[in-house]
Amino acid sequence: MTELAQNLIDGLGRGSIYALLALGVAVVFGVMHLLNFAHGELITVGGYVALWTLGAGWSWYIVTPLIVLSAVLTSLAIERVAFSRVRGSSDFTLLLTSFGVHFVISAIFLLYVSASVKPFDRPSWVTNTYSVGPLNIEVYDTAVIAVTAITLIGTTLLLQRTMFGLSLRAAAADFDTARLMGVRSDTVIRGAFALSGLLAGIAGVFWLMRAGSISPSAGITPMLKGVLAALIGGLGSLRGAVIGGLVLGLAEVLLRSRLPDSVASLTEGVVFLLIALLFIFRPQGLVTVKHAVRV
Amino acid sequence: MFPRLGRDVGFPLAGCALLFAVFVAGGLIYQSFQGRAAERLVTVMLIDAIIVLGIQIYVGNTGVLSFGHIGFGAIAGYAFAVFAISPEEKLKRIPDAPFGLNEVVLNPVLAGAVAIGVTMIVALVVGIGLARSGAESGAVAATVITLALLFVTHEVARNWPDLTGGNRAGLTFKIGAALDSRLPIYLCLLGALILARLFAQSRSGKLAVAAREDNLAARAMGVNPLVQQTAALLISVIVVSVGSSLRVYENGSILPDNFFFSYTLLTLAMLIVGGRNSVTGALVGVAVMTVGREFARRLGQDGFEVFGLGLDAGPLDWVFRENLQTVFLGLAMLGFMIFRSDGLVGDWELDGWLWRRWNGRKSPERPEPLAEVAPVGLHAEVPHEGAILEVGDIVVDFGGFRALDGAGLSVAPDEVVGLIGPNGAGKTTLVNVITGMVEPAEGWFRLGERDLRTESSHEIARAGLLRTFQNLRLFGALTVRQNVDLASRVAARHRPGTHPSVDALVAEAGLWEVRDRRARELDYGSARRLELARAAAMAPSYLLLDEPTSGMSDAESDEMIRRIRHMAAAVDAGVLVIDHDLNFITGISDRIYVLDQGHVISVGTPDEVQADPAVRAAYLGTESDAQT
Repeated sequence: MTELAQNLIDGLGRGSIYALLALGVAVVFGVMHLLNFAHGELITVGGYVALWTLGAGWSWYIVTPLIVLSAVLTSLAIERVAFSRVRGSSDFTLLLTSFGVHFVISAIFLLYVSASVKPFDRPSWVTNTYSVGPLNIEVYDTAVIAVTAITLIGTTLLLQRTMFGLSLRAAAADFDTARLMGVRSDTVIRGAFALSGLLAGIAGVFWLMRAGSISPSAGITPMLKGVLAALIGGLGSLRGAVIGGLVLGLAEVLLRSRLPDSVASLTEGVVFLLIALLFIFRPQGLVTVKHAVRV
Repeated sequence: MFPRLGRDVGFPLAGCALLFAVFVAGGLIYQSFQGRAAERLVTVMLIDAIIVLGIQIYVGNTGVLSFGHIGFGAIAGYAFAVFAISPEEKLKRIPDAPFGLNEVVLNPVLAGAVAIGVTMIVALVVGIGLARSGAESGAVAATVITLALLFVTHEVARNWPDLTGGNRAGLTFKIGAALDSRLPIYLCLLGALILARLFAQSRSGKLAVAAREDNLAARAMGVNPLVQQTAALLISVIVVSVGSSLRVYENGSILPDNFFFSYTLLTLAMLIVGGRNSVTGALVGVAVMTVGREFARRLGQDGFEVFGLGLDAGPLDWVFRENLQTVFLGLAMLGFMIFRSDGLVGDWELDGWLWRRWNGRKSPERPEPLAEVAPVGLHAEVPHEGAILEVGDIVVDFGGFRALDGAGLSVAPDEVVGLIGPNGAGKTTLVNVITGMVEPAEGWFRLGERDLRTESSHEIARAGLLRTFQNLRLFGALTVRQNVDLASRVAARHRPGTHPSVDALVAEAGLWEVRDRRARELDYGSARRLELARAAAMAPSYLLLDEPTSGMSDAESDEMIRRIRHMAAAVDAGVLVIDHDLNFITGISDRIYVLDQGHVISVGTPDEVQADPAVRAAYLGTESDAQT
């Protein structure tokens, strides 16, 4: 029982980061029908910002907003340079464009920095834990869960209460109609990328705090988690993306602690397999979004 | 219908031989100038070409972006290595191999065959998954499944050292035992080329392309895209397995990272740059990217001095040079996606070009006009023996909105029935139900004795119900004639009896002059007529036409009425035609159903319906309310 509770808390912490990443992926998918394989690069960029600023002796309190800001700016820049040029192209083109962006950004860091993994200082409290009854809770997990909750509430308010949020949701439901109703596609798409960058930046801060290092290919894992979580939730559903992230986090932690030792090193593989099975039996993801196909 | 031997077999074979000759000759010439250093480069290029051709067979013909083919390659590569390397080597690397594998040794050809077999089994399972996930052109879920496959294979390869030698040791062949002649590579490359081209020209390949262009229209034409996609996947996996086995053999070893992200990027970039929809393009892409990468590598190695510019050192430190190849790849892929997403050659094929050159001068004669089999209309003297299409009590809910509320109708095989009603009355929904694209909450529909409710779209189409779409769905990349020809091929397989000639149908639709134009280039009226001809080519029992004259002028509309009746008579089909234009419907129909708010409010001859006060109320609203 204790172990289960412990797993749940660990899984929630991990899942919260995934949820933020997935939400960012889903927001962009909603407005552009683009599955953004370059989403993880936002964290890579933030990682190098952290490397340089921390190396210059700055404290995490200053570095944190810089990471978030760099993610937002990168997201907007990617949209401007690459994605705005393929708007309305076939899904195949969109998929490969985002894949190409992913490689170009990691190649830029390969070129101008180095292929090697560079460490930086983690905040001292990351590994601290405190006890509640029999449970050992990490300060880090607590912070992640709290910040994620606040971010999600903020995002919900943004989407529900503001004109921008309304346009974004309308565009996600039916982009063409939304445009006919006077939603400006430029504004809403850039807004979506900015929001996506903000969410990735917040997730990235925690991701980097735990990793304590950065390399040009560091973006692949968070990208994969975000994309998979968004798919588990049923792409196009923002609520589904959050649920998908939490489910993925919990599944990973539970599998790692429950699988026999001989298979435990293959946890990632087992998770992928489960996801493939999910798609086979429920191709639309956990949360169903009804798409009216006009014929 | 057998493939046309010249166009579908002879020319592709000749084209493949020519492509092969040019490709290999290019490599050999480069090699003769650069000496031994370039030998390996050319060998690697030949093997890359086999793998890229394998990927092309799936990605090109189905339009599904696959990251997983290098994952299949990893499976094949390991299977090959485990069976082919010597027992002494295995004892060193994988002493605890499961299933007693370290006892087994096969010669390379057999090991390759085993590798193909193992990979095919995995591909079959993945293929079912892809099919279930609704794989169609550009499908996101399908792409992620293939990405997951790539990661799973990599993960397993890294973490199952008993079988794979793990991440550091890997599996190696004894030095010197690896590939020492290029002959097998040449043979496999030629084979891969021929397989890829013949598949593209085969019935299965053409249907896969149709589904790539428009999945829904393909299903409405009786094509089951999942069968064609799975066929494409299996054939492509065979080629990838062969290429991967060769790659492992040539390399002399295999490590998990040999078949992972960077090789996926390389092979996809080659395919994209050359042109994913073309076999010629795949080879062009391999050549261009190999040359470009080699160029980038030497630029890194020697600095700019190669060009006598003497620009060295400075910002170009070793890191920069080391990674120029990666940058080149990423930029090439991104650049082509943004500026030329169909690659260098688009869907141009060498043999297609040769064929056009060969046949350019003789232009075929205009075909005889279609003869009417039986005049359509209630006034036919002998009652028709075909099955009656009957639909009843259909209820469809979209969320809270009831689109159809107990609607029903019947069409006899020799009549033209109109279905009319204001926008939103449920006309299109009713056709969607009859063709299996929307599942009704209640109701029944059958063709003669055959209950169609449980059947899927492509089965209903094969049963003889062929539809057109309100918002035109043609196979845009195919020519006018190919659009009709495809339908005719499906009909030949699934609809017994005689079929109208493809050329005659094209001419009948007024498209003879533009028969070799791509469907996506047609003007609106021609596109509508092509859709009609394509449906008629299936020799249907019933044609279901959804607003066939929308957007046409009155004169065009009258012309269309004549064509519809004539074509229906020529293929002996009953017609159900939908429109909201009362003049058009009364002009073409023998009988009319009037649909309003989801149910039939009136039925009868045009005169009867026009006189019906309920119809006037529905159509003219308040005015007739005032009259009553």
